[in-house]
Amino acid sequence: MKIEVKKSWLSAIILLALSACAIVYLATQFLSMREKEPIYPGPGVTEIKMLSDWYPALKDTAGDTEVYVLKGEKEGNSMLVLGGTHGNEPSGLVGAILLIENAVPKEGTLYVIPRTNASGLTATDPQEGAPMRFTIETPGGERWFRFGSRATNPVNQWPDPEIYVHATSGQRLSGSETRNINRAYPGRTDGTFTEKVAYGVTQLIKTENIDITVDLHEASPEYPTINTIVAHQRAAELGAQALLNMQLEGMSIGLEPSPENLHGLTHRELGDYTDTLALLMETSNPSQGRLRGRTDADLVVTGKDKFYVKAAQLGRLYDYGYGESGRSISERVARHVTGVAQFAVAFNEMGLGSIVIDGIPAYDDMVADIGPYLIPKT
Amino acid sequence: MLMYVYLGLILFLLIFVLKDMFREKNLLAQIDAALVVVPLILRLLLIK
Repeated sequence: MKIEVKKSWLSAIILLALSACAIVYLATQFLSMREKEPIYPGPGVTEIKMLSDWYPALKDTAGDTEVYVLKGEKEGNSMLVLGGTHGNEPSGLVGAILLIENAVPKEGTLYVIPRTNASGLTATDPQEGAPMRFTIETPGGERWFRFGSRATNPVNQWPDPEIYVHATSGQRLSGSETRNINRAYPGRTDGTFTEKVAYGVTQLIKTENIDITVDLHEASPEYPTINTIVAHQRAAELGAQALLNMQLEGMSIGLEPSPENLHGLTHRELGDYTDTLALLMETSNPSQGRLRGRTDADLVVTGKDKFYVKAAQLGRLYDYGYGESGRSISERVARHVTGVAQFAVAFNEMGLGSIVIDGIPAYDDMVADIGPYLIPKT
Repeated sequence: MLMYVYLGLILFLLIFVLKDMFREKNLLAQIDAALVVVPLILRLLLIK
């Protein structure tokens, strides 16, 4: 079909003006994703640093990110919590924020990075229909949080290679994994943007002699590695001891060894390349699963999805207890936060040192509703 | 470095799309070009 125009320059200008309007509207939408949700430092926070304090090359880049330091009154050992490694696994981000706003270390130091891959929280994954943000009701009003991408925003690192070769092991993965920070550890200074951020985290661990590192994740209910702790071999005993404590709190959770031939992940590389006891936690998150139906902020928060209910009835899920009540973000965050608390308790029980953290709410209270522990401050 | 090569390619493509848009006598082809420039400009400006 052809519609002839006599003054092509005039129609071109009109169409370009329409394109400009679309560009302005879309740019506003995309740029709004770079706004960070507010974090209200709690009574335990003694200092807010940046990752670039440990790796200066990150300064003024999208990879630089806040590191909240919660130093106890008494000297002791140290723990690092990584939230926001994957932006589409929101309980890691919210769990880290809940710790920042509530935890009060008495002995030792807690370091919390809520947005480990800050770039990944500025975009969503293409063709997933994911929301840009979600909200949690608190007694002090509604509070919003960013929902992001599993990988670094392509604006910060592009193009992807056909095959991603992990630098220190030579492991070959799909090209898109080159922007996954949890395939980039221990990182390197002459690598990609994502590898440099990973290097910054590794430097923090080495410089501060971090004793325990916990990376907070989520996975699809149909994925085998959910509701579990993944531990580096040096952290296996610590994981087992903490697991018993978590089960005593009423949490159903498993323990898996970090595969020796799966490289780039925190529980493998941080354990191999630093002295830290590296652990990773996974909860079950229907909003990132392949079987889900409508994908919106409500699914992120409630974890209720009729297709997952059907899949559970057919015995197709690894999330054995999944039902009509879904998997709420309160429950998922409660699991992560309780895990962090119990790793500290287990560390003390095993006589490895001393990390005493007060202020962490009880597991059952958080499962009921995390809202009261995330009240915005004016 | 690769990123800048990639952005250079986008700029190159964008110039030719705009040039074609002004020369094209078929309105439908001009509309096609107007749609194509939207993602090109968003990527060139490192917005998306």
